[in-house]
Amino acid sequence: MAIKDPDTLWKTILGEIETEISKPNFLTLFRHTMLLSISDKTATIAAPSAMIIDMLQKRFMPLLKQKLAKHTGNEASLIFIAKTPKKGVGEERNGPLFINEVLRQPVTNILSQPRFLSRVRPEFTFENLAVSTSNQLAVVSAQTVVKNLGHSYNPLFIYGPTGVGKTHLMQAIANEVFYKNQERKIIYLTSEEFTNDVVEAIRSNDTARMKKRFRTADLLIIDDVQFIAGKDRVQEELFHTFNILIDNASQVVLSSDRPPNEIKKLEKRLSSRFTAGLTVDIELPDFELRSAILLIKAKKYGVELPIDAAKLIAQTTTDARSLEGMFLRIITESKARGEDITNELVNRVLKGKGAKDPLGHLHPDDVVACVCSFYDIKSTQLKGPKRDASLVRARQITMYLLKKELQMTYLEIGNTLGGRDHTTIMYGVGKIESQLSTSEAKNMGVSADILRISRILSGQRGD
Amino acid sequence: MKLYVLASHIQKKLGFLNKAISPRSQLPVLLNIALITNNGKLQLKTTDLEIGVQVEIPANVEEEGEVTVPAKTFSELVASFNSDEKIIMTTDNTTLHVSTGKTKSILPTIPIDDFPNLFEEKGEEQAVFPKELFINGLFQVIFAASSDIARPALSGVLLAKQKEKNEMLFVATDGYRLSLKQYKNLKAVLGDSEEKELLIPARIMKEIVLLKDEDGDIRLFISGKNNQVIFEQGETMLIGRLIEAQYPPYQKIIPQDFITRVQFDKEEMHQAVKMCAIFAREAANIIKLSVAKDKIVVSANSPSVGENTVEVAAKVSGEEDEIAFNARYLLELFSHLEEEEVVFEMSGPLSPGVFKVKDDPTFLHLIMPIRVQG
Repeated sequence: MAIKDPDTLWKTILGEIETEISKPNFLTLFRHTMLLSISDKTATIAAPSAMIIDMLQKRFMPLLKQKLAKHTGNEASLIFIAKTPKKGVGEERNGPLFINEVLRQPVTNILSQPRFLSRVRPEFTFENLAVSTSNQLAVVSAQTVVKNLGHSYNPLFIYGPTGVGKTHLMQAIANEVFYKNQERKIIYLTSEEFTNDVVEAIRSNDTARMKKRFRTADLLIIDDVQFIAGKDRVQEELFHTFNILIDNASQVVLSSDRPPNEIKKLEKRLSSRFTAGLTVDIELPDFELRSAILLIKAKKYGVELPIDAAKLIAQTTTDARSLEGMFLRIITESKARGEDITNELVNRVLKGKGAKDPLGHLHPDDVVACVCSFYDIKSTQLKGPKRDASLVRARQITMYLLKKELQMTYLEIGNTLGGRDHTTIMYGVGKIESQLSTSEAKNMGVSADILRISRILSGQRGD
Repeated sequence: MKLYVLASHIQKKLGFLNKAISPRSQLPVLLNIALITNNGKLQLKTTDLEIGVQVEIPANVEEEGEVTVPAKTFSELVASFNSDEKIIMTTDNTTLHVSTGKTKSILPTIPIDDFPNLFEEKGEEQAVFPKELFINGLFQVIFAASSDIARPALSGVLLAKQKEKNEMLFVATDGYRLSLKQYKNLKAVLGDSEEKELLIPARIMKEIVLLKDEDGDIRLFISGKNNQVIFEQGETMLIGRLIEAQYPPYQKIIPQDFITRVQFDKEEMHQAVKMCAIFAREAANIIKLSVAKDKIVVSANSPSVGENTVEVAAKVSGEEDEIAFNARYLLELFSHLEEEEVVFEMSGPLSPGVFKVKDDPTFLHLIMPIRVQG
C-alpha cells in the first residue's frame, strides 16, 4: 500500500493499535504520540518524554514495526524523539498583564532601579547640556529656578524653534529638583498628555482626581504648551491649575515654539499669565555649540569623534535633533565598515546621503506629515507612546516607508519617530512586510493604504 | 536480591518518592516503586511518565537484584517501622519479603523490565545553585505560575540565563501577576556566552522545594535531545521534561518608572488585606488601596456584606493615588515573603503595581490592578 501523509497514516495505525492493546496502555503511552516523518527506511515518532519512549521501545517495538510495514509496505526502522506534539491552537491567551497597553520597550537590565520621574529621561541633566551664547540666558534662569523653586521666576516660560534643547533644559530642571529633594512632587508632561488627562477625566466623570493630581504639585512642567491652542476646556483647566499653583508658590515651567502672545487661539488671560514670570528664548545653536553638542553625543554613544569631524558635521545642519540623526548615520556607517570616524568617512556619508534618497528631496518629516494627514492623526500622536491599534498601524506604515523609500537606518527611523528603539522599528517594518505578503482581505487594506500614501508622496516629489 | 537497610534512610525519602506517583496512573507498574541494588547502595525510583524521582540510600547488599513493589503499601509499611529498625529485604520469584526483628511482610512484585528507564543521559550541567538561596527564591516565584494546563507556557517557570554573566532569572506568571527572582554569582558552567531560556513545568519546581531539608547544592542538567531537565542534589534526582512553548514577553511589562512609592510593614499590610478580604468576598475580591500622605488606607465593600477600612502606616513619596487589586493575589504574595519591609511602586490606577522587598534588588512581583468606577 502506498505511503500516505504521516498524520493520516498515524491515525490509521493508532486506530488499529487501540483495539489491540489494553486501554490504560494506549491512553498513557500512545495518546500523545505523533508520526513526524516517514520514508522507506525510517519512521520518526515523537512522544512527550524519554520515559514514555523507553516504555514504547521496551514493549511495543514489534507491534509498531508490524503496523508500519503493513501500511507502507516497507520495513522501516523506528526513531523516537522526545517532543510534545503541538496542539493546533493559535496564539495563547497570555492574560491582561500582556495586553498591548501594558507592553513597553523591553529592557536589558530588568532589575535596574526604576526612575522616579515618569517621562523624564535621567540623562538629560545640566551637566551634559552644552551652553553657548544662544541658550545661556535660558540655562541660567533654569538654574536659578532650581535653586529657589517657586520664588524666583514663576512661571518660567522658555520658547524657541525645534531642536534647540528646550526639552533637555526642562527635563534637567526636573532631574535637578528631584536630585536635591526626592520628596518633591514633580510632574512633567507634554501639553498633549495634559489634554488627554483632562479629556479622560471629563469622560470618566472623575475630574476630582485629576485636579488633585495637578494642583498639589511642587513643580509642574508642561512641554510644547502651544498645542493647547483652541482647546477651550483644557485652557480653562490649565488656567485654574496655574492660579492655584502660583498662589501656593509652586513652580511652573512651560515651553513653546513661540512667545505666549504669538500663540494663536490662546485665551488672553492665559497668555498674560504665562508672561507674568520670566520669558526667555533659546536661539538656534551657533556653530560652536553644534560642535560641542556633537562631542557630548559622541561621549554618550561611546565613540571617538575628532574635533575636525565634529565641525564638518556641524556645518551641515542647524537644528540639534537632525544633527543627532546625521551623527547616528555616521556612527552606523563607521561601525558597519569597522572604520574610525574620520573627515573622509564623514564626507562620504554626507555626500552619499543625497544620492541615497530615491524619493528625491523628501524629508522624513514629509513622510510623517503625509501619513498623519492620510490617517487624520497628529504627528505628536504618531511619535507618542500610545499604542492604540490605529496609531500602531499608522506608525508601522511610517516605519516601512521611511525604510523602503528613504532607506533610512533603523536607528534614524527610531529617532524620527520619537526616540523609539531600533528593534521596535525592525519589528514594525517586518510586520508590514509580512502583511504585504498576505492577501488584501487579510491585511485589512494595509497594502492599499501604502500604495495610496506612496502616490501622494511621489506627487510631492514631482513638485 | 538480599539486602539490609535502616528504616530511617527510606523513611526520609518516602515523601519525595511519592510525589512522582500519580494515583490516576492507569498502568499498574506506574503505581509501583522500583528497588534496585547499585554498587552497595539501594536505589529507589518512581515515575508517572511526566516526572520521575530517583534516590539512593546506603544499604548492606548481600545479593544484587531489582524489582518493583506497590508504592502505597510499601510506603505505609516502611513508615510504620521504628526509625532505627533494620529492615531485611529478600526476593523470590514473584514476591518481596520485608522483615524486621518481629515483623514479616510479603508484597507482590512486577518485574523491573516493565518499569521505564527514567533517563538515558543526564545531559549537560547548566548551573549550580546554593540550596538555601535556590529554594527560598523559588518559593517566591512558583506560586505565580498558572495552574491552567490549557496555557502550557504560563504553567511553567522560565529560567532565563543571562549572556556572559553568572546570572539566571526565574520568572513565573499567570497573566494577572508575575514573580521574578534573580540569581547572581552562580557556578554556571556551560556556554557562558550563550543566552538561553528554559521553560520548566511549575509542578517540577514545586517538588524541588521539598529538598529543603537535605544538604548540598542543587545542580541543573538539561538534555536538549531528550527535551529533558534534571535537578540533582547529592544522590537525589528529579527528572522532568521541558515545555515547548513561547513565553510571553515578560521583559516588556516591567515598569521602568513610577509615580508613587510606598514602603510598609508586610505583616501589618497582610493583616489589613486579610480583614478587608472578608468584606470583599461578595464583590469579586476587590480591595482598594488609597495612598495618602503617610499611610495606605485599605478598604473593601460589598452591598450585602458591608464595608470596612484599615489604615496601614507607610512611608510615602510621590503622588497620592488609588489602586484596586484582587485580594487573593495580595494575600498570596504576602504569605510567600519572609522579609518584613515591602516597597510598593505604582504609576496610576491602571498600570501594574510593583512589589519589592526593601534592600533586595533581586526580587520583583507585579500585579495587574482592577479597573473600578469612582
